[in-house]
Amino acid sequence: MPVIQIDKKYLYGLVGASIDDKKLADQLSKLGFEVESADKDHVSVEITANRLDLLDAVGLARTLKNFMHVSKRFHYEIEDAKPAIEIEVDRSVRKVRPYISSLVAYNLDISDESLTNMINFTEKFCETYGRDRRKIAMGFHDLDRIKPPIRYASSSDSSFIPLGGSKEYLFSDILKNHEKGMRYGSIIRDADMCYYPALSDAEGVMAFIPILNSERTKVTTNTRNLFVDITGTSEFAVNKTCDLLAASFMDLGADVKKVRIKYQSKNIDTPLLEKRYISIPIERMEREIGVAIGFNNIISLANKMGYEAGAVGKKITFRLPEYRLDIIDDQDVIEDIAIGYGYEYINPTPIYYFQPGRLDESTVKNLQLSDIMVGLGFCELVNSYLTNENDNFSKALIPEAQNAIRMKGSKTEYITMLRTWLIPSLLKDLSASLNEKTPQNVFEIDMAFRIKDGAAVESYKLAGVSIDPRANFNSMKSVVEGLLFAAGIKYELSEYSHNSFIEGRCASIAEKGKTIGFLGELHPKVLKNFGIEEPGTGFEIDLESFYSKR
Amino acid sequence: MHKYEIAVLNALKEHGWSTEAKLASLCKLGAAEVSWALEGLKTKGMIQIEYEKVASIKVNPEGAEYADKGLPEERLIATLAKRPLRVSELDESEKIGLQWAKKLGLVSISGGSVLLTTQGKEKAGTELKAGTVLKKLASGNYAKETAAREKETISDLSRRGLIELSERNAIKSIRLTAAGEAQQSEDSGGEYVGAIDRSIIATGSWEGKKFKRYDVNVNVERRAPAMRHPLKIAISSIKDAYLSMGFKEVSGPAVESSFWVFDSLFVPQDHPARDAQDTFYVSNVKQDLQESEEYIRRVKKAHGKGWHSKWNADTASQMLLRTHTTSVSSRYLYKIVSELSKNPDKYELPIKLFSVGRVFRNEAIDYRHLADFYQSDGLIIGKNLTLSNLFDELTKIYDFVGLKIRFKPSYFPFVEPGVEFSAYSDKHKEWIELGGAGMLREEITGVNRKKLSVLAWGPGIDRILLIKDPSISSVSELYNNELGWIRSRRLV
Repeated sequence: MPVIQIDKKYLYGLVGASIDDKKLADQLSKLGFEVESADKDHVSVEITANRLDLLDAVGLARTLKNFMHVSKRFHYEIEDAKPAIEIEVDRSVRKVRPYISSLVAYNLDISDESLTNMINFTEKFCETYGRDRRKIAMGFHDLDRIKPPIRYASSSDSSFIPLGGSKEYLFSDILKNHEKGMRYGSIIRDADMCYYPALSDAEGVMAFIPILNSERTKVTTNTRNLFVDITGTSEFAVNKTCDLLAASFMDLGADVKKVRIKYQSKNIDTPLLEKRYISIPIERMEREIGVAIGFNNIISLANKMGYEAGAVGKKITFRLPEYRLDIIDDQDVIEDIAIGYGYEYINPTPIYYFQPGRLDESTVKNLQLSDIMVGLGFCELVNSYLTNENDNFSKALIPEAQNAIRMKGSKTEYITMLRTWLIPSLLKDLSASLNEKTPQNVFEIDMAFRIKDGAAVESYKLAGVSIDPRANFNSMKSVVEGLLFAAGIKYELSEYSHNSFIEGRCASIAEKGKTIGFLGELHPKVLKNFGIEEPGTGFEIDLESFYSKR
Repeated sequence: MHKYEIAVLNALKEHGWSTEAKLASLCKLGAAEVSWALEGLKTKGMIQIEYEKVASIKVNPEGAEYADKGLPEERLIATLAKRPLRVSELDESEKIGLQWAKKLGLVSISGGSVLLTTQGKEKAGTELKAGTVLKKLASGNYAKETAAREKETISDLSRRGLIELSERNAIKSIRLTAAGEAQQSEDSGGEYVGAIDRSIIATGSWEGKKFKRYDVNVNVERRAPAMRHPLKIAISSIKDAYLSMGFKEVSGPAVESSFWVFDSLFVPQDHPARDAQDTFYVSNVKQDLQESEEYIRRVKKAHGKGWHSKWNADTASQMLLRTHTTSVSSRYLYKIVSELSKNPDKYELPIKLFSVGRVFRNEAIDYRHLADFYQSDGLIIGKNLTLSNLFDELTKIYDFVGLKIRFKPSYFPFVEPGVEFSAYSDKHKEWIELGGAGMLREEITGVNRKKLSVLAWGPGIDRILLIKDPSISSVSELYNNELGWIRSRRLV
């Protein structure tokens, strides 16, 4: 979840009141956000992935003002419907990055703090909701440096002076050599290599989308009128992001105007700032939260959470805040009412219920088998299911099986596959316990994995290993016979050949003619491979036949 | 006289006293038997024993680890010789190292950075004196005389809790008394009963005799009981908690399709949790979606409405190692809801289910990060279930394992309202997050909440022990499989 760092003075300026650290942490926690740390000037807050409208001080201030009853503001509208400027969208972007939205903000007073805040917000937003600019990217420009007409199109290689630069670069150079080009180039490279999406005006390139803006139109603290472009792969996301930004600029006191987006098939004026309403019966809200909140209370809770609300019969109609990206339907609104009410005030209510609990059969059987093994003097171990070919196969002297389940993209070479059996796990554990007194008797009951007929098979196994100067085939045989007898298994042992065990000191265990496991004296080479220099014996049994129905 | 006593007495007569080990080998007896026989001979006045105090040194597990890997301060200065470190980035072991290295004047702290002193630079990469002594102690070849010479270093190591110093009474010399010299070399019956055997009980030959006494303070070897693993014990106890609340246990595959882990739970297809960065995808198991067309259509529709992006069946069919056990809940939820839609009387509502299983994260593993660990999942399917019901169930389950919990809002794509619950840890002096919970979205259940509502949660298991067990300092410790650690565990 994203963590944002906020300048406290800037935040309190926006809220219009100073809040002490403890109170701030408490209010944010009630809203579902955690203060990670705070110092004299800054506070770091973890924001949940749904509330990306709160990734900056402006959004946080907007929500806190309503929540703490400092002042109310429920909606954001643009009265003057006439677009201030137009963007023509060329069909050439359709395959690369089809959607764009835009707004202009006049009379903005850009201070250092607000500029920093704006840049931080953009980066965090494009990284999270924008999925590292793939889904959403945005750019800020000084409106007064733009010469219409503005055009969003994919073109062949062109050059411009990138932000922070002093000479011209080709798009293709930026992809190869510029830090941003190397980082974000794959977003457009996947789609089409011959064409580069760009935003241009009469003077040339304004931005190489979604990579880098031009130096020519850059924003400074002298900028008073701002032009914002938002591009992406989802029309909904592009338009909603524009709504969110519009609300933020209005909160900062700017005069926000619409921009006409001229697609081939339609014209839209963004920010859309559509009025959306959701009506929910009071009875439903109370039933789902489990508290009789009451009619009047719900409306004031709605206000606290930023909704304008009114009663229509036995329903409450909520007007959804334009800046919220996360509200899908009434379920989301009900949650907000619960949050407004306060989770700490919701009294736990019992469910009327009379049925007995029950454990899975494998749990019951495995517990019984564990008890037997402990009774036989074996300590239980719990190992990772994850392993590698060397531990699972090579060290145990068995050939690599094709039917092991393998993973891709592991961060470590120690994890490449799921274990196919348990004995190597136990030997690895014991190799870390060489100084412990012998006999070292250990067992594990847990899963091993393989592929059968193209599908993953997961089965419980029981394995035991004994490291003991006096260990031999017979001593382990007596353990296994004790176990199988107590477990009620009718078994047969026969001579068996297994690379991990000494030839002639190994047996298979069969039940009703079906081999379910093996036991024997571990081969000196296997022991040595695991760094063990005492005699060792082991057994492993597949437990699937122990359970009646699985 | 007992046969052991006779054997020992004869050996003393013939060879005189040297050491207990020598005596044991002469008599072909174990050390315990010899010591028992000597006690008996002493009681009978046949020998006189002179004792002396002997210091003994035992290396603790932590000490053994350092003897193996090097002392924290040795490791710290070796690291510092390669690159400087900030105080804030030090891990636990490096912090310990810092404390000692500072004491030895090997490092200094300036402006939040740890720097090597001139002396530190000289010593970097070499063994410090304490390290050399500890290694020798751990390997067991350490002469008494050396121990006396390194007294100071040894008492330092003891203060650090790396070794245990103790004193025990050892035999210095044994002298035969006149009675001992005169004793016949055969058992004459005597008036004391030593070890009890079958014939003594059967014949009642003990009658009229005294039983030889044991020294209750004698040093014996503590037996290490075979035990179940602490983590498995914790899992059993959380299962007991669910059982006591009427939950039935279910299970499901660990190698699972993205569909059940993510898509069926309304996790958008471009969600970062689905990145191969964080999730293990399986490279050699491939299968098409097995689920009914109708269900797949429903999931696709929900994603379209909720996330405004195209839903891709191939993405959903990718096989992976599950990242949460909520996939098990999802499978059962779908099965039960489908059955109920055909036959509303099939189940008595509410239905309470739980599962416990391994979940996986693509992590670069170290002592703090694990790539697979246990998680549990709870599910209640019923009519008119409320957020307040959820709070009640969770409060009771955690009360069973001894934790008081609190709730706050949180976000997970599959629940609305979403809840995070945590327990206060006296040990850490803070609230520790236990897991997420909430009311499943209708997009997942496929049923209007008026008809059916579903409460769900998915906490880890290990944090319960982290909070409750004073000896556990990190979750990954619970996955420790060193025999010495398990043998030294106590019940909590």
